[in-house]
Amino acid sequence: MIKIIKLVFLNLKFLFLSLIIFSSMMITLLIISEYIFLEPYFVTHIPSGSEFGFFLITVISALSALVIPMNLFRITNLKKSKQKMSGGIFGSIIGSIAGACSCGPIGFAVISIFGSVGATATAFLTNYETPLRVIAIIILMITYFTTIKSLKTECRINL
Amino acid sequence: MNKKGIILGIVVISVIIGLAASVSSSPSETFDLDMTRTHGSISTAMGSPILGDPSAPITIVEFGDYQCHQCYNWFHNTKPMIVRDYIETGKANLVFVDFAFLGKDSPKASQATYCADDQEMYWEYHNSLYNSQESKIDSGWANSERLKAFAFNLDLDMELFNECLDSEKYSKRVQYNSQQARDNGVRGTPGFFIVGPNDQEQIAGAQPFSVFQRIMDSMV
Repeated sequence: MIKIIKLVFLNLKFLFLSLIIFSSMMITLLIISEYIFLEPYFVTHIPSGSEFGFFLITVISALSALVIPMNLFRITNLKKSKQKMSGGIFGSIIGSIAGACSCGPIGFAVISIFGSVGATATAFLTNYETPLRVIAIIILMITYFTTIKSLKTECRINL
Repeated sequence: MNKKGIILGIVVISVIIGLAASVSSSPSETFDLDMTRTHGSISTAMGSPILGDPSAPITIVEFGDYQCHQCYNWFHNTKPMIVRDYIETGKANLVFVDFAFLGKDSPKASQATYCADDQEMYWEYHNSLYNSQESKIDSGWANSERLKAFAFNLDLDMELFNECLDSEKYSKRVQYNSQQARDNGVRGTPGFFIVGPNDQEQIAGAQPFSVFQRIMDSMV
């Protein structure tokens, strides 16, 4: 497993991509979930009772940063199918939208634009924020292990 | 003579109907409010009673929804320190203005607070809602029956409270408050305006105490 990770991330292009995915996802999700505020001052805080939410965001960002570059490596270097890539992106999207609506500006915009349908969607994404994020983590982990397995086989054949 | 009699009759009947209408009109039109009350650019006339000293130099206007979990976070993590350091010391006061947009139970919960206010228990009821909030929106924790149960727990006159809540006496008041939020550019809850002697500052979201402290200290 370590060998495969090394194989992908010793390539600076994929390491850089991984860092960009992790930092952009982490910062965006922390802003949306109100762990980071930019106005009127830059401030970070983890309110009491929100520690688990912070942990889930960190895990989703880290897994996305691991899985997406690995799949891109498969596609670009080994010219393999894009099927596993969709698992990584799907997991990242679920993890990102869970809890994104809530009572903040995104939720307000969704409800204002889509009315009662938006309100129902917002309520669903807020009410099931933690289970949805856990599902996203499971999807990302399954994608990670299947990608590792494929890379092991494919690399042995190709090398 | 006949015509005069008819006109007189119409006038008398109109006066009687007018009087009857004014006597039997719903109590929704007879609450005691200072319609000129504003804080900065915000009309808080239909908002909560003022928490703290009304003559304090700073007013914190909070726009909130009783089903919003970030409002719950602010209520439990930041508000106690603001109350201790600014409200109880007379440096600031606080007005809560409803921005009930999250679910179908949100407007009803806001209306219930004003029904409690009729019995001068606004803040007690407000606190009991934020202490009892459940994480799921429209899960039933703030439906009419539960709102009545909260009132019962506070020893409110249940006949008055139920009549007020069932008749939606304060429906328009809550709508007015939500419109104030939109008019002032609030795009989510909780949203705050810190209104000082010379200026006002907007804060979006359940920000920590340090942010409020920094703004309010710069205003005093």
